[in-house]
Amino acid sequence: MSRKVSILFVLTALLLAVVPVLAQDFQIPEIVEGKWNVAFVLIGPINDGGWSQAHYDGAKYVSDNVDNVNVVYVENIPEGTESEQVFRSLAAKGFNVIFGTSFGFMDPMEAVAEDFPDTYFIHISGYKTNNTNFGNLMGAMEHMKFLAGYLSGQRCKMDGEDTVGYMYTFPIPEELRLGNAFMMGVKKTCPECKMIVTPINSWHDPVVEQEAAKALFDAGAYIVFTGADTPAPAIVAESYKEGKGKWGIPYDWKGSCTSKRCLTLPYWNWGPVYASIVEGLRDGTYTPGRHYFDGDEKGLGLYGFMEGEELTEGLKDMPEEVLTFVRDYIADIEAGKWTRFDLFSGPIIDNQGNVVVPEGEKMEDADLDTFDCSTTGCKYGMHYWNEGIIAELP
Amino acid sequence: MEKQAVIQQKRKGFHFRLQVEERSDEPPKWLSPLLTVLALVVAFAIAGILIALVGGDPIYTYSRMWKAAFGTWFAFSDSLTKAIPLIFCGVACSLAFHMKIWNIGAEGQFFLGAFGASLVVLAPIVPKGSSSWVYIPTMMLSGMIFGALWGFIPGYLKAKLGVNEIISTLMLNYVAVAWNNFFLFGKWSYQGFQMSEKFPKEALLLRLSDIAKKYNIKALQGMALHLGIIFALVTAIIMYFVIYKSKWGYEIKLTGDNPNAAKYAGINIMRNTILVMALSGAIAGLAGASEISGVVKRFQGSISPGYGYTGVIIAWLSKLNPLMTIPVSIFFGGLIIAGREIQPSGIPKMIQGIILVCLISFDFFLHYRIRISRISAFAEE
Amino acid sequence: MSDDSPFVVEMKKITKKFPGLTANDNVDFHLRKGEIHALLGENGAGKSTLMNILAGLYEPNSGEIYVKGQQVRFRSPRDAIKAGIGMIHQHFMLVPTQTVTENILLGLDEPKFIMNLSKYDEIIRQLGIENNLIVDPTAYIWQLSVGEQQRVEILKMLYRGCDILIMDEPTAVLAPQEIDVLFNTLRSMTEKGKSIIFISHKLNEILEIADRVTVLRRGKVTAADMPIEGVTKEELASLMVGREVIFNIDKSACHAGEPVLIVENVYAENDKGLPALKGVSLQVCAGEIVGIAGVAGNGQRELAEVIAGLRKIQSGSIRSKDLDLTKVPIKKAIEEGIAYIPEDRHHVGTAPNLSVVDNLIMKNYDQCPISKGIGMDEGAARAYAESLKDEYDIIVPSIDTPVRLLSGGNLQRVILARELSNMKSLLIAVQPTRGLDVGAIEGIQRMLLKQRESGGGVLLISEELEELVSLSDRIYVMYEGQIMGEVHDGDIRKIGLMMTGTRLEDIPEEKTEVTEGEKA
Repeated sequence: MSRKVSILFVLTALLLAVVPVLAQDFQIPEIVEGKWNVAFVLIGPINDGGWSQAHYDGAKYVSDNVDNVNVVYVENIPEGTESEQVFRSLAAKGFNVIFGTSFGFMDPMEAVAEDFPDTYFIHISGYKTNNTNFGNLMGAMEHMKFLAGYLSGQRCKMDGEDTVGYMYTFPIPEELRLGNAFMMGVKKTCPECKMIVTPINSWHDPVVEQEAAKALFDAGAYIVFTGADTPAPAIVAESYKEGKGKWGIPYDWKGSCTSKRCLTLPYWNWGPVYASIVEGLRDGTYTPGRHYFDGDEKGLGLYGFMEGEELTEGLKDMPEEVLTFVRDYIADIEAGKWTRFDLFSGPIIDNQGNVVVPEGEKMEDADLDTFDCSTTGCKYGMHYWNEGIIAELP
Repeated sequence: MEKQAVIQQKRKGFHFRLQVEERSDEPPKWLSPLLTVLALVVAFAIAGILIALVGGDPIYTYSRMWKAAFGTWFAFSDSLTKAIPLIFCGVACSLAFHMKIWNIGAEGQFFLGAFGASLVVLAPIVPKGSSSWVYIPTMMLSGMIFGALWGFIPGYLKAKLGVNEIISTLMLNYVAVAWNNFFLFGKWSYQGFQMSEKFPKEALLLRLSDIAKKYNIKALQGMALHLGIIFALVTAIIMYFVIYKSKWGYEIKLTGDNPNAAKYAGINIMRNTILVMALSGAIAGLAGASEISGVVKRFQGSISPGYGYTGVIIAWLSKLNPLMTIPVSIFFGGLIIAGREIQPSGIPKMIQGIILVCLISFDFFLHYRIRISRISAFAEE
Repeated sequence: MSDDSPFVVEMKKITKKFPGLTANDNVDFHLRKGEIHALLGENGAGKSTLMNILAGLYEPNSGEIYVKGQQVRFRSPRDAIKAGIGMIHQHFMLVPTQTVTENILLGLDEPKFIMNLSKYDEIIRQLGIENNLIVDPTAYIWQLSVGEQQRVEILKMLYRGCDILIMDEPTAVLAPQEIDVLFNTLRSMTEKGKSIIFISHKLNEILEIADRVTVLRRGKVTAADMPIEGVTKEELASLMVGREVIFNIDKSACHAGEPVLIVENVYAENDKGLPALKGVSLQVCAGEIVGIAGVAGNGQRELAEVIAGLRKIQSGSIRSKDLDLTKVPIKKAIEEGIAYIPEDRHHVGTAPNLSVVDNLIMKNYDQCPISKGIGMDEGAARAYAESLKDEYDIIVPSIDTPVRLLSGGNLQRVILARELSNMKSLLIAVQPTRGLDVGAIEGIQRMLLKQRESGGGVLLISEELEELVSLSDRIYVMYEGQIMGEVHDGDIRKIGLMMTGTRLEDIPEEKTEVTEGEKA
């Protein structure tokens, strides 16, 4: 009897394990003759609720909005050695353009691009390009982080708090840049506020992310924002019920601001950017190179402020002039009136009190993505923490 | 009384009884390959049902998988490339398993081997601008030395202090990853990224695509297969001779089968334990070195999707025969490559799992046989 | 204990056959209520088989068992326990990381699921006090001494309601003081109406504790249900070892030459770290067979192992000609031609999954002609194996067959072939004929004699007294790690007494009454 029950248990467990697989669509990435073939290589699963899902949405957008294309995806591809074979194999199959959506795909894509000159390779988040068939794509998320910081400062001020927390992934220029942009926003609305940070050394690790969020909250942060995939800060924030509670700001994917304690969400809207690149490549009007889009390509989003979105609980009671500032800012970047270099303009002071960028000067492209200017010849570099951030340089 | 009658009645319909019993004789030679084939057939049948369940066409899927793994020379080159670290790790595990030392640490030894090879370039041990003839042998040797060190530690602990090698090798895997990360995040970080700078061309193993470029051979263009395959094949062949033809190999097998008998035959078990672990580590280290120099091209994280652990499975399926690790690794390499063909990524993992379970469970019939016997109604009490 | 106490166990005409051997041949056994009944016999006499039948581990081929007047048939130890019969094995079956109470409750239906351990602790404490078995129910097994663990085993059976206890050599693992405690416990239990079967081959203990004794020899009863009063140790010894005329093996006169083995005052420990050899001295000369007699577990195995270099000695010396065997590596001794037939064919003598070839070359794989540089000459190895196979009549389908598939006799031939072909001066043979059929025994005995005739020295350790007497030129008798004495004439009476702990010099000259005194 008990034996039958246990067999039943095992079968049920097996079924449960298969169900999530069943829920996804089955697909073999293969080209379709006569169509323009596009492949997306994703580091995570398409339903990770973060970075990869945002790209998957972008891929679907291309499929739905561009004529005569065949779009496929390959998920869960580890960086480095693993990925090179995937790119090679996709190129050998005859895909016209292959998007690789993780930093670690950079070298493999560069190498494969050399061997397959007839295939376009677009790499997201890196810094290399060969200006012929291997291009690089990234966007100025710092705008949205700045605005999220701006709103967070306002929230702190209204609730009598003075600390925000930042869980960054790796000690790389991008993460420092986004953290600094956020802090610049905080300073606008709450000059006396400070930021505490912790590295988590992962882009996607639900357990570590939750632990880090909890640690920051416990260390006194009122609002925690993340550089990683999962909406951990907003979820962990729910468990703080005393007083005014806590707030979290997730990242990456439009759909991840579902928690009641989600203040806002800077996210990527890759669809329009991808669609224009695919069309441009097909028409021959787009040449792969360093492509860093600002607000004007509609690739950036801030939850609560884009079309069809409502303000979250944490934003509703904010004064109208604060919300107007955010709306105007978004309108300005989308109109191309305001760029990331305007954002990173002097005076910028680091947390040691040193002037990084003096009054009247602006950072340039090379500064934004470099730690050590002696190697690439930039002027200021991104190896500093903005004033108000309590942290040591990595 | 009535109750008994009912039982008798019930039994009447059931004239046969399945009985599992241990084989008392040696299984015939053809049985093992036959079972492997049968296991694969059953596995693909089960997986086919699952594929059909999620809305795929099993036959089409399998034909795509075959094509992606072995269907073209290009695909075959990819499968072979994938097989290289698997052969090394499989051989490394086979050697240790012959002595019944359960080295689960090939993964860590692989990482240390990668570290050792990188050290040559990044420390640098070899002056910048040296030729390949200096770089490659030094890198491979250094990889082997560091891998051997990672094998020596648990070997020494086992021999002298009786520390369980399963635990110690497993734990050292984590230490190895952390060790590499320390250098990734600190010393050798390139522009703040968690990877070193790219190795110079001289420090990279020759690839088919390099040959294609040099001699303008269109057929080989873009093929990633590198010189490591030669190293792997040679290692497997050498280790075959070491295990099956040398005196030391005999000592290892004897110790593995019965340590008491080995001691009684005057064999130094302690010394052999340490030696076997060090050599096993060296081979796994060579895997790391060849991977870093042939595929990764720089020092970075996530260089292994678990080659070391797969090595355990490969050794097992090869029946610990180093020569058998070659086809088994190629099969596995192909399976991994072919898995990429199917999305979502859960399905190929599931197929791989089903194949493994079938292969291992069919081994049961090597040692047991099933006897079907007729039962008469009265024989049963 | 009076004769008219009712029988609680009656075993009638029990016969149990194993392939190639009859372990119990028409054995009768009776146990009365409230008595301690000793079951005496040498190793392999059939004591354990008989008791395993009573405890439900084996089913007999024929015979009947009555418990408290009811005929029973046990299919498992569970059935036997239900009938009130519990066996306490020599090796305890306890879980070290659990408490006494947990061990006792293990496998029972009660308590179900939720355990209220403290309640059971109290019940077990009470049960212990009632039966003079004091042990802390909350202690973990690993914290307990061997004697205490034995008490837990007894409590386990009492808790299950057993009133007939079978104790398989309970004193073998105990220190002398613990033995006294155990005996007190046993006595107090019988006063409460429990009945105890006490398996042993230690005569002193039997005389001290038992009310009656049944003696087995080679599966047959030599003394049934004999009251212990008035029985002497000598009588028991002769009942146990027998007095049959030994058939003579043709044996030439001994021409002993130079000593090939000199053991002087050797002390060594057994696997548990207890003293196993306490000052053993002996010698073996070229051209003679020297026997070591003794009941199993008196240090013979350890003696063989120290000579073969497998066990470290604490003091003393072992020399073979110029070679100090305690110092040189085993390899060196092998090269010098010292051969060793271990007691345990499966766990020491052979590698079960390796082929006949690999097992035959175990001792000379690194000597010419099999060794070739770092490699091995497979051809030479095979030729060597083939020649040994023919010479020693090893019957196998092929020399590539794994030896685990060989029968006991063939396995032993593999070992003999390997050892004898490498032997130059000395052979240590431990139980070389145990478990073999008559033909195989004779063949092996002939081989030993051949070694002797060709001038080798043989140290033969055996529990088969007849074999020892018929083969050996001299016999040493061991008891508790010491040599009790040496006999040249194969006097079974003396050997029997020495085996049970009497020194040669303490043995009185033979008295006629005792010789006639065989009763059974």
